[in-house]
Amino acid sequence: MRSRVLAAYCILIYLFLAAPIIIVVGASFNAGNFLTFPPQGLSLRWYVVFFHNDVFMRAIRTSLWVAAVTTCVSLVVGTMAALFYVQHAGRWKETVRVAMLAPLLLPEVLTAIALLFFVYAIGIGTRSMFGMVVGHVLMTLPFVFINVAASLESFDPDWDMAARSLGAGRWTRFRRIMLPLIKPGVIGGALFAFIISFDLFTISFLLKGIGTSTLPIQLFDYLRTNFTPEAAAVSTLSVLLTLGVVIVSDKVLGLKLHRF
Amino acid sequence: MSAASAAVAPAPSRLRLGPLVLIAPAAILLAVFLVIPYLNILLMSFRAPGQGTPYGEGFTIANYLRFFSDGFYIRQVANTLWIGFLCTAICLVVGFPVAWQLARGSPRFRAIGYGLVLSPLLVGIVIRSYGWTILLGNNGLINRTLTNIGLIEGPLPLMYNALGIVIALVHVFLPFMILPLMAAIQGVDPSLETAARSLGASRLTAFRRVTLPLCMPGIQAGCILVFVLSLSAYVTPSLIGGLRVKTMAVTVVDALIDTFQWPWGSALALILSVTGALIVVLFARLTRMKWKVART
Repeated sequence: MRSRVLAAYCILIYLFLAAPIIIVVGASFNAGNFLTFPPQGLSLRWYVVFFHNDVFMRAIRTSLWVAAVTTCVSLVVGTMAALFYVQHAGRWKETVRVAMLAPLLLPEVLTAIALLFFVYAIGIGTRSMFGMVVGHVLMTLPFVFINVAASLESFDPDWDMAARSLGAGRWTRFRRIMLPLIKPGVIGGALFAFIISFDLFTISFLLKGIGTSTLPIQLFDYLRTNFTPEAAAVSTLSVLLTLGVVIVSDKVLGLKLHRF
Repeated sequence: MSAASAAVAPAPSRLRLGPLVLIAPAAILLAVFLVIPYLNILLMSFRAPGQGTPYGEGFTIANYLRFFSDGFYIRQVANTLWIGFLCTAICLVVGFPVAWQLARGSPRFRAIGYGLVLSPLLVGIVIRSYGWTILLGNNGLINRTLTNIGLIEGPLPLMYNALGIVIALVHVFLPFMILPLMAAIQGVDPSLETAARSLGASRLTAFRRVTLPLCMPGIQAGCILVFVLSLSAYVTPSLIGGLRVKTMAVTVVDALIDTFQWPWGSALALILSVTGALIVVLFARLTRMKWKVART
């Protein structure tokens, strides 16, 4: 009986967690001019409007581009740091860990403002996407680090020794022995980096230049003045894109996420 | 083999120079784009306000004096802290049973539940806040439904106030509370509770005196995470609160984007962050003390 009550309560909370997302997806198929739920008849008209809206299409391209660059940089830098942390840090281990997690521990708003002033101070400003990408790399680095470090911890150094005794060089050992064994962590880290970058708001909001709005920024700007279901269509597509990335990593690359 | 590994294995406490290449990119990145900008923003908060420029010549403590002499901003910080506190408390109370079920429930339920708790994190914060505006608005789903049923005459004030912000923030941050709680509960051996019960403790006493203190690290982690995140949240308070209710993060960002008052914005952002950090430290101290009391 008690466990039934608990299970029912949990289902209620899961519904609460899913509610706004279900509402947005439902609203995107609304045929009417204004956002109402339940929809006044079903239609794909707002998707058509959205696909003809250059502003949103450009924002999607910008988002994907920023997320792709961020993921690559973050993955290389984070994996190297994780290698150092697990194998070479010695008594500096805790220091390295705290430093790598620092962007997560500091308030994102403060980091964004600090970075904004800094890019102006060094004369780059927000004309190029440099500042924004750097911000994205900072915010995604901890996730790559956590995931790769977790799989490195379970990597048996004897494999490396065996390969070494057979004459394999440093790079070959990394590529042929270590990388395949820590692949789940690397892919998990890359996935986290991509999704977090794709949805990152405050950093992009403050560091965006003219015409380099990412999708969340464009959506936010739109929502401040408009209430048509087009925003719901944009949101639904964004959710589908993220879901697509997760499914592809799961099926094709053999993902195994580490809990943290 | 053992001789070889002894020769190759890095000395546990000494740092060798070669591997430093591995940490160099991350170290440079964090030093240049995190440490220096933070020092710069600290400096910026002491700069004089500019006339037509983001900041002027010379240094001053006027920005801090302005904050402490103006009741409006102090009240706003108090409001923000209050919203953060409410979010944290509600997340803890609402999330604990879910974390319990995830940690102790049947494995099949656990896997599905874990996915359901994590999946909202895949959806961007703008989209989730947008969903809440559809639900909570004066013409939103909740008000419309209640009016149609005849339960209420006019719309309930669910949006453009602190209530709406708290509801939406609880939704956004609940997973960050549930995950550390779940990890903590999983680490508590259920037989400890059974032992307490067999010694005559009631179910409630066993929970309060045995399980809860052992979960304390997870409770601490979850509370700190949610509190810090809710203080610096921008999107949700901005969309749900509108122009009516502003949290500190919204005021700070608007001060920077709309009016370009860099020194003033820096001072505000730093005051909020330092206040938040002090509360976190205080909270960590207090909860650790309680934990010791509970152990004796």
